[in-house]
Amino acid sequence: MAPDRVSAMSYELSDGARQRRSPNTNIAASAHDAVKVYGAGENAVRALDGVTVDFEQGRFTAIMGPSGSGKSTLMQCVAGLDQLTSGRVLVGERDLSELSDRALTLLRRDEIGFVFQSFNLLPTLSAAENITLPLALAGRRPDGAWLDQVVTTLGLADRLSHRPTELSGGQQQRVAVARALVARPQLMFADEPTGNLDSRAGGEILAFLRRAVRELDQTVVMVTHDPLAASYADRVLFLADGRLVDELSDPEPERILDRLKTLTEGVAP
Amino acid sequence: MTRIALTSAWVRKRRLVGACLAVFLGVSFLSGTLVLGQTLQRNFDSLFADANAGTDAVVRSATKIDTRMDFQRGPIDTATVARVRAVDGVASVAPYVEGYGQLLDKHGDGIGGSGPPRVAASWIADPRLNAYRLVQGRAPHAAGEVVVNRGAAKSGKLALGDTTVLETPRPTRVKIVGIATFGSADGFGETTYTAFDLPAAQRLVLGATDRVSSIRVKAAAGVTQDELAARLNRVLPTGVQAITGTQLTKENNDDINGQFLGSLRAFLLVFAGIALLVGAFSIYNTLSILAAQRTRESALLRALGASRTQLLGALLAESLLVGLVASVAGLFGGVAIAELLKALFDAFGGGLPAGGLAFTPGIAIIAIVVGTLVTAVAGVAPARKASRVPPIAALRDVATEATTTSRRRRLLGGGLAAVGVLAVLLAALTQGGGAVTIAAVGAVLTLAGMIVCGPLAARPASTVLGAPLPRLSGMAGTLARDNARRNPRRTAATAAALMVGVGVVSLFTVFAGSLKASIQDSVGRSFAGDLAITTPGWGGGALDPQVAARVGALPQVAAAVGLGEGAARVGGSSRRLTIADPAQLARVVDLGVRAGAIGQLGDRQLALSEKLARAHGWHLGSRLPVGFADRTTSPFTVAALYDNDRIAGDVLVSRGAWAPHAVQDLDSVVFVRVAGGVATRAAETAVRGITRGAGNPDVKTRQQYVASSAGGINALLGIVYVLLLLAIVIALMGIANTLALSIHERTRELGLLRAVGATRRQLRSMIRGESLVIAVFGTVGGVALGVFLGWGLVRAAADSAQTDVFTAPIGQLAGVLVVGAVVGVLASLRPARRAARLDVLRAIAAE
Repeated sequence: MAPDRVSAMSYELSDGARQRRSPNTNIAASAHDAVKVYGAGENAVRALDGVTVDFEQGRFTAIMGPSGSGKSTLMQCVAGLDQLTSGRVLVGERDLSELSDRALTLLRRDEIGFVFQSFNLLPTLSAAENITLPLALAGRRPDGAWLDQVVTTLGLADRLSHRPTELSGGQQQRVAVARALVARPQLMFADEPTGNLDSRAGGEILAFLRRAVRELDQTVVMVTHDPLAASYADRVLFLADGRLVDELSDPEPERILDRLKTLTEGVAP
Repeated sequence: MTRIALTSAWVRKRRLVGACLAVFLGVSFLSGTLVLGQTLQRNFDSLFADANAGTDAVVRSATKIDTRMDFQRGPIDTATVARVRAVDGVASVAPYVEGYGQLLDKHGDGIGGSGPPRVAASWIADPRLNAYRLVQGRAPHAAGEVVVNRGAAKSGKLALGDTTVLETPRPTRVKIVGIATFGSADGFGETTYTAFDLPAAQRLVLGATDRVSSIRVKAAAGVTQDELAARLNRVLPTGVQAITGTQLTKENNDDINGQFLGSLRAFLLVFAGIALLVGAFSIYNTLSILAAQRTRESALLRALGASRTQLLGALLAESLLVGLVASVAGLFGGVAIAELLKALFDAFGGGLPAGGLAFTPGIAIIAIVVGTLVTAVAGVAPARKASRVPPIAALRDVATEATTTSRRRRLLGGGLAAVGVLAVLLAALTQGGGAVTIAAVGAVLTLAGMIVCGPLAARPASTVLGAPLPRLSGMAGTLARDNARRNPRRTAATAAALMVGVGVVSLFTVFAGSLKASIQDSVGRSFAGDLAITTPGWGGGALDPQVAARVGALPQVAAAVGLGEGAARVGGSSRRLTIADPAQLARVVDLGVRAGAIGQLGDRQLALSEKLARAHGWHLGSRLPVGFADRTTSPFTVAALYDNDRIAGDVLVSRGAWAPHAVQDLDSVVFVRVAGGVATRAAETAVRGITRGAGNPDVKTRQQYVASSAGGINALLGIVYVLLLLAIVIALMGIANTLALSIHERTRELGLLRAVGATRRQLRSMIRGESLVIAVFGTVGGVALGVFLGWGLVRAAADSAQTDVFTAPIGQLAGVLVVGAVVGVLASLRPARRAARLDVLRAIAAE
C-alpha cells in the first residue's frame, strides 16, 4: 500500500500526541465489531465480543489480557488465520470475510508475517531457506539488499547454512523473525514470541521487533502476557472477556502491571 | 501393562488400520490359496470317489509308463474277462475300454476346452459299475451309436438323435442315442465323454476286439474289496493286476495331485509368501513410526516406573493384537480371494471341477497363526527400540526422527549383497548342474542385502530422483525432495515393500521374455517348413495321422510330417517319445543333427538329443532297451544325435517303431513344406480344405507358428501379473499409510507452511512429490534387482531350461516403471487431501 494513501476510516488515538515519530495516519489493519463465538447453544463461548480496533502502520502494538481474554483469537482473526462469527476485519482496504481460502493464503504469504512462540521452522531447510520460504512459495526471488539488511540486523549472517537443530532457541526465533520480515509484509504478527526463550534472548528479539518498527517502518502486532515484553511496544491494548477494556501508549512495565492488576481484580468479584 | 497397550491400540486404531490392511491382504491371499487348494482337492476326491463308487476291484495291466506329464498303461487281453468271471465272490464283471475321443459339434469344431480330457469309452451296462446315469434315450447297441454326457451335449448343442463326428482320431460318424449324467452332474468336471458299445469301442479306441483297457468288478455280498482283489490276483496272468476300488480312488487322487494340484498349490503359495513379505514391510514401517511418535508416552511410562520388559511386552502385545484381528478378518477375505482365483483360472481355461469352497479348521489355524506371527515378528524391532527410550525423554522435546545409519548396517547389508551378487554371477557364468539353485540362493541374499542397505541408498537416491522436482513445482518440489530425504530408514522401508513386488514382477518378465525368445529362436531356426497344423496347446489335442498323409499328397505341398507323442522306458527310465516319419521330418525340420542320420531311422533305431546322450554317456551305436506299455521290450540302437530338442524332445523314434505298441496313434502337430513355385497362401487354402473335415485344427503360417510356440508363457505370465498385482496393492497401501503417519507427525510444519502462505495446491503437490520419490525409488530398485536376478537365472538355466537367449523386454519394464510412478501418485491422493484440509490454527498449536 502506498504510504501516502490516507484511510477514510475514523480512528481513535488517545495518546497519539505523545508519539516520538510523526503520527502516521495510515491504518494497516482494523477490526470492526468483531465477534467470535466458539461452539453453539449453551456451550457457546464468546471469545471476541464486539471488538473495534485499528492497528496503525509503523507502530508496535501489544495485546495483553488474562488467558481466555480473547487476545490470541483477535490476533488470529486479524491475521487471516481464523474467520470471525460477525463483524469485519480489514487488512489494508480488503475485507477478509470476503476472501476465499486461496486469496487468504496469498494475503498471508505476501502481506503478513508471523512469529510464533515455538519458532515453527522447517527442520529440513537451512536457516537461509527457512527465511526465504514465503518468497519461494510465491515463486519470487528475494530482494538481495533487503535480505542482507534483515540478516545482518538480526545477526544471522554466519548462521545461514545451519539447520534449525543446530541453532539455539534465540537464533531460531531470530530466523523466524527474519522469515516474517523478508517479504516486506504490511503487517507482522508475533504470538508470545519470547515465551520459549530465556530473558536475554527474549530481550534481543523484542529489541529487534522495535527496530523493525522504528528503522524499517514495519507494523508489528504482538500478543503477550509478559509486561516487560509489552513495554517494548508503542501501545498496549488490554482485553478481558472478549472486550477491549483499556489501552496504554508508550507504556512502562510498572504501569502495565498496575493495569493488569486492576483488570484481574475487576474480573474477580 | 498389557491393558495399557490394548487401550492405547484402541485409541490409535485409525493409525493402525494401515498395518491391519497389510496383514489382512496377506492373510487373505494365503487363506484364499489354501481354500482353493483344499476345494480342488475335495472336488477331485469326491469326483473320483463317485466314479469308482460301485467298483470293488479293477483288473488292469501292471505296466505303467510314467513320465512327469502323464502316464500310459497298456491294454489287457479280452480272455482275462472269462478268468475274472470264474473267480468265486465276483458278482458282476464289466470289461471297459477308455481312450482319446474328440467329439465334434455340427460345425466340425471340437467340443471341450484345451485342459480336461476328451474321452471315448465303452458303455457299461451294469449301473453298479458305471458312474454315468442315462437321463435320456438308451444305451448304445450297435456300431455308430453313442451315449454322450450332458455337459458335452449342451456345449456342442447336440440333442438326442443328432448325428455328428467323433475322432479317435480317425473320424467316425456317430448317432447320439443316449444322454448321460455323471452322478447328478453334467459331467466328470469338464471332461467330455462319448461311450460306444463294447465291440465298437474296442475297434475304434484299441484297434482290436481282443483287448480291453481294464475290467471293473463288483464283489458278491460278504466279500470285502481286499478279499476280492486278493482272490483275483491269484488267478491273473503275469503283467495283469487287480487293485481295490479304494486303492484306485487313492491312485487317481495322487495322480491329480502330482500332475496338477501339487504344483498349482506350490505356485500359489509362493505368491502368498510374497504378499506376506511385502505386508511385513508395511507392518514394520507402521509400527516403527507409531513407536517413534509415542516416544514421549513410552518415556513417561518408564519415568512412572514401568520396566523395560513391561514396555516391550506391552508393545508386542499390541502388534499381536493387530495381527490377530487382521488375520481373522483376512480369513474372510480369503474366501473371496479363493472365489476370485477360481474365476481367474476358469478365465484362463483351466476348467476346474465346480463345487462350493472347502473351508477347514486347519486352514483357519494356519492362516491366523502365520498372519499373527508375521505381524509379531515385524513388530519386534520397533518395540525393542521403543522400549529402550530413556525415562528422561518424557521431559524433553524429543526429536522423533533418527537419521543416522549405523556401521553395522553398512557391513551386514554390504556383505549380504556382495555374497548374493557373487553367487548369482558365479551361477550365471558356470551354468553347470545346481547353477539354478545357487542363483536362487544368491537372489535371496541380494534381496536381503538390498533391504538392509536401503536406508544407506535412500538419501542419495532421493536426491537424484527428486532433482527434477524443484524445477517442476518450485518450493513444493524442494520440500518434497527434502521430506523424502529426511528419514532414510522410513523412506527405504516404505520403498522396500514396493521393491520386492516390482522386483519379482521384473524377474518374471525378464525370465519369461527370455524363455519365450529362446523357444521362438530355436523353433524358428529348426522349423524349415512353411505351414503348421496344430491343436490347442494344453492337455494334448490330437490329430489323425491320416491328415499328414493327405496334406502330403496335395500338389501344392512338397512334404508334410506329423509329429506324435508317446512314452516308453528308455535305458531304464520312463521318457516321452516323439514319433515321426524320419524321412519326411528331415525335409521340414532342421534338428541340428550332430552325428548319424535321421532320414533312415529304422524300426529298431532311435535318435537322441545330444544333451540326454551326454548325461547318460550314450553315443552313436549304443544299444538301449526300450520298454513299451504293452510289456514288450526290445533293444534299440542309437542312430543319430541331434541338437535341437525344442521340437523333437529328447527321444525320437520312427512311426514304424511305435505303431505296433501304440494304443491310439495320434499326431499333435503337422509340419508342412510348400512345393516350389506355389504361394504359401494358396497352399494354406488347400490345406484348410483337408483340415476342415478333421476337427478344424489351426493352420498357421511359419511366422504365426513360431510366435505361438511360446504362447503358453504369455498366459502364464498373465496369471503371474494378476497375482503380483496384489503385492503391488499392498505396497501402495504401505506408502499411503507411511505418508499419512508422516503427515500426522508433521502437522505443525504443515500448519506453518499454510500460515506463511503455502496454498493447498502446493501442499498437495509437496506430498505427491514425496510419494513419487519413494515409489520411484522402490520401483527403480525393484526393476534393477529384477533384471539383474533375471539375467542371472536365465544364464544359470541356459543348460537346464535352454534359456540361451537373454532379453529384457524394454517395453514391459518401462511399463512397470510407469506403474510404480502411478502407484506413488495414487498412494499420495488421500494423505495429500487430508494435509491440504488441515485446520491451520490447530495445526500450529498441535504438539
